[in-house]
This record gives sequence, C-alpha cells and structure tokens, in this order.
Amino acid sequence: MKKVVISVLGYDRPGIVAAVSRILFEHQCNIEDVSQTILQTEFAGVFIAAMPDQNREEDLLASLQSELRELGLSVHLKPVTPPGEWTAPVSEPFVITTIGPDRLGLVAGMTEVMYRFGINIANLKALFRGGPNPLDNVMIYEVDVPVATDQAAFRAALAERARELGLDVSVQHRDIFEAIHRV
Amino acid sequence: MLSDREVLSTLAMLKNEHLDVRTVTLGISLFDCASHDLQVFQQNVRDKIMRLAGELVEVCNEVGDRYGIPVVNKRIAVSPIAVAACSFSAEQMVAIAKTLDATARAIQIDFIGGFSALVEKGFTRGDHALIEAIPAALADTERVCASVNVASTRAGINMDAVYLMGKTIKRAAELSATADGIACAKLCVFANIPQDIPFMAGAYLGVGEPDAVINVGVSGPGVVKKAIDRARAKDPRLDLGRLSEIIKRTAFKVTRVGELIGRQVAQKLGVPFGVVDLSLAPTPNVGDSVGEIFQSLGLSSIGAPGSTALLALLNDAVKKGGSFASSYVGGLSGAFIPVSEDLNIAAAVSRGELSLEKLEAMTSVCSVGLDMIALPGDTTAETIAAIIADEMAIGVINKKTTAARLIPVPGKKAGERAYFGGLLGEAGIMKVAQNGVQSDFISLGGRIPAPVQSLIN
Repeated sequence: MKKVVISVLGYDRPGIVAAVSRILFEHQCNIEDVSQTILQTEFAGVFIAAMPDQNREEDLLASLQSELRELGLSVHLKPVTPPGEWTAPVSEPFVITTIGPDRLGLVAGMTEVMYRFGINIANLKALFRGGPNPLDNVMIYEVDVPVATDQAAFRAALAERARELGLDVSVQHRDIFEAIHRV
Repeated sequence: MLSDREVLSTLAMLKNEHLDVRTVTLGISLFDCASHDLQVFQQNVRDKIMRLAGELVEVCNEVGDRYGIPVVNKRIAVSPIAVAACSFSAEQMVAIAKTLDATARAIQIDFIGGFSALVEKGFTRGDHALIEAIPAALADTERVCASVNVASTRAGINMDAVYLMGKTIKRAAELSATADGIACAKLCVFANIPQDIPFMAGAYLGVGEPDAVINVGVSGPGVVKKAIDRARAKDPRLDLGRLSEIIKRTAFKVTRVGELIGRQVAQKLGVPFGVVDLSLAPTPNVGDSVGEIFQSLGLSSIGAPGSTALLALLNDAVKKGGSFASSYVGGLSGAFIPVSEDLNIAAAVSRGELSLEKLEAMTSVCSVGLDMIALPGDTTAETIAAIIADEMAIGVINKKTTAARLIPVPGKKAGERAYFGGLLGEAGIMKVAQNGVQSDFISLGGRIPAPVQSLIN
C-alpha cells in the first residue's frame, strides 16, 4: 500500500465529502485521516488515504477531477512524504493570541517572528470581522515551542512586533486552557 | 485542538474580569530553628526562610508568565511564633517580629504570617509573651501579620483570651494612631483557625503541616459577577438554582487555575503542594468586588434583607464548584466580606445600608467573619472583646471558622473615614451600638464550655 494526500477546495454545499469518499472507495482507497473546515463560503478538506500499490495515482486524480468539477471543486493529489525530512524538536504546546484591528500584514508579521525562533504552528485560526468588538478581530495560534527556545527573547520579540502592528498579544502554555475548560 | 470559545473566554476572564491567583503562600516550619539564644534563633529563622523562599517571587513570576495568569501576591506563613519561640519574653518576641519583617523585605514579599498563638483552652508562657508583644510588633513592622485563635468547637471560647485581645487591639491601634490604627489591620482573632490558610492576616503554618508547603489562594469575584451578568442578560428568567450552577462552574475554572499554578510553583521550589483555598477575595478595585455580586443577583445593595440568603448561596456554590475542581481544598474557602478591601461593601457601609449587626449575621454563612471593620476610636476594649465573643460564638456553635479583624481608629468617630492604603483599602467608620456597657460581662472571664455536638437546633 502507498499513501496519497488529496486536497479539495471549493464553494461549500452538501455532498462534497460524500462524493470524495465514494470515489476513493471505488478506487479501493482506505481513508486514514481527514480534516475539513469551512471558511466563510469555502470548503477545504484534506484526505490521507492508503491505496493499493498496483493502482495508479493518475487514474484516481482523473476520476476526482472529472467528477468533482461539476460541483465546482478543485482537487490536488500527491504522494505522502515519508517521515524524516524534518524532525520536530522536543517542544511544548503554547497558545499565542492576538487581539486588535485588521490591517495588511498581521499574519505575515507575527508568523515571521515565530519562524525566526523555529516555532512550528500546529493550528491557526484567524478571524477578522471588523467592528468595535475586539474579540471579533483575533488570531489564535496553537504552536509548538522547542524547549531550547529562549522564552524571554521570544516573548519580547513577539511583544515588540505586536506593538508595531497595533495588536495585543498573549502567550500562554496550552495547559491553562485545558485546566479551565475541560474536566 | 482548542475551540475559539475556550481561548477567548479565558482571555476575557484575564483581561476584563480580574482573574488571577491572589496569593501563593509558602508555609515554612520554624520548629527546627528553636534555640534558647535569641540571636541564634533569629539567625536560624533568617537562614531557613532565605534558603526555602529566596526564589519564591522569581519562580511565581516565571510560572505566572508561562500561563499568562498573574500571581498577585507571594507570601510566607511560618509556624506559630508563640510555639517556636516559646521561651522568649515579650520584648524578645518583638525582636523576632523585626527579623521576620526584614527577611520578608529581603525576599520581596508583601506579608509574612505566623506571629501567632493558639490559646482556645489556655495560655503557655510563650502565648502570653507573644500576645503582649503584638501591639509593638505590628506597629514597628510593615509586613508581619498576627493571629490568635481564642476559641474552637471542641474547646469552647477562652473568654480571658477574648478580653486580652480586646485590650491588645486597643493598644495596637494606639501605637499606630498616626496611620488610623493600621497595626490592627494585620491582626486576626479566630475561632477554629485552619492550619493551612494562604490568605493574610490569618496565614500561619499549623503543627501538623510539612516542613515546607505551597498553599494557593484563588480569587475571582469579578469573574463570578461577569458570569452571572452574562447569564442573566441572555436569559432573564434564570432562577437561583440555575444561577447557583453558573457560580459553581465559574468557581471550578478559577480553582483549576489556582491548582495548576500552585503545583508548578511547588514543583519548581521542590516542596509539596498543599491546598487551594477557594475563597472569593476582593480587592479595592472596580470589578473585583464580592459586594457587586449581590447587586448582580438582584439586591439593591449588600446589607439589604436577603443578603444573608444570597451569601449562603454564593458560599456554598463556590465550595461545590471548587471541591470538584481540586481534591486538595483547604484554608478558609468561601466568600470574604472585608469591608475596607471591597469598594462596593465599603460604599454600602458609607451609605448606611450595611450595619455591624447585619455583617455579623452574614458571617454565620460566609467563610470568615467581621473583617476589616473600622470602629470609632473610643470603642472600649470591653466592647471590642464582646464583639469578638459574639463572632467566636457563631464559629464555635456552627463548627466553622470565624474571625474578627477590627480597627478602632484613634481619634475618629462613626461616619468619618479610615485610610489604610493599598490592598487594605479605606472605609467609613461603623457605628457601635451600646459602646462601653460590656465591662461586667467581659470581666467575668473563664471559658465558655464547648457546645454539645448533638441536638443541633
């Protein structure tokens, strides 16, 4: 068996996951992981599936493209990269939250600092709705901070960048959210 | 993956609702510091506190930063000095208080508690010396806190100690007359004092406690108030049962924060974690008030009829939520109603809507007692003792902790204001009914016997 990753993108409506999974089933592909989200009007889904060695990836992609085109969806397929190309250092989970009005370059500005400190983003949710409620303009980054990171320097750099961008930033270990909200 | 709601509601609690850890208190036993030589004892005390607590402030700040939760106060509670320094005179006890004060200053903590005695059944030589030393010790130091336990459900009420504390409070006020009797703000008289209180002025490290231990005092009146306000705005028909559920859930969250921070600090300092004290502790800041919760629950003001019932609901809901959140709950655990430390309660007193008598009634269902109450300067020692005796009786009969922290403000009358500053706040001076007519009763002395434990009506 070999593994492929398929991404599907397009206007959200009922039946997208049903169509993708039916085609995978018809090609004898076993779905191992799926994640989907809806941003405003757009559906985005990523599927990792194991397919028999004798099947051709080109055939699967051709089926997906021809059948999903009528739903207005675009499809991308590639083989899954085996582990080892980049190994994550020993890290701790933190949550970086920013609150502040929308403007160009917020995500780019904040993530540049994270990249500089070797911090990997595990999950990102950014929400810019405008208006007076500060909680309508937020970015929530779940990140893995390598234990070797100079925390004070990282926090200072992040705070400085947030100040330049007019954002209020907080950096908190993920455990605090688990402790407060989960039994 | 965390939900937006989990992240954003936590941030809202931190930024708008004063969620914090009110105190991380390191308990330190001083029993192994004992010596017949005062200087040796002082040196031992200094060395032990410096060794165990030298990094307390730094570690608390580091852990607070890591979780984004400020640890507002870092404090030390030591073994009762009346026991640890039993052989010393009153004068020497004052010197010991100064050593504690200087050590607290050196490690940059704001209060050190444990200048304490437990005399519910009688006095030792050390107890007498310590109580005699209290006025000077508190007037001559800045950070030392004292407590004296004069009653318990199993021993009854030591009325000789109650009278002595009335006189001690008067003397402490006189010695700090230029600062509105502030020495009395650092002195609590207790019934059924717990051994593991992290909050001042009652914190000390009990005899059954480990050599060193971290106890945490959470906070959160602002968080509770906002949760109630939000729920009532969303559904105005919520009844008190549903509102109690909301308080429970909020207390759960606040307690979990305290336990997480406390355990991390304990681990970094290499000492065991003790308890979370679930108290709702106000500060004299807008939005950090227990009194405001009464208004959120529909009363015009704390002190109005209905206040005792609401306080009972609040106290019980906090305990239920907190005890589900942590298996190690202790200290006082309930709602505090300290007059000068809570803007809303202080304002109710100034408007004449909250009397001393109503406060006393409310203490039968809250976690502590008559707390931070400014009294007229001419209140007699006997009347103060009688107020204390009443408060102790409530604790002894109801098998709960009660305490009195009373400040007879020298030279001031009822209706004037007393200013203590900082966390201790300011308050209007309360009227005392029938001042000076308790001499006959109080001078009877002796011990009110321990109450029967059955026939509970």
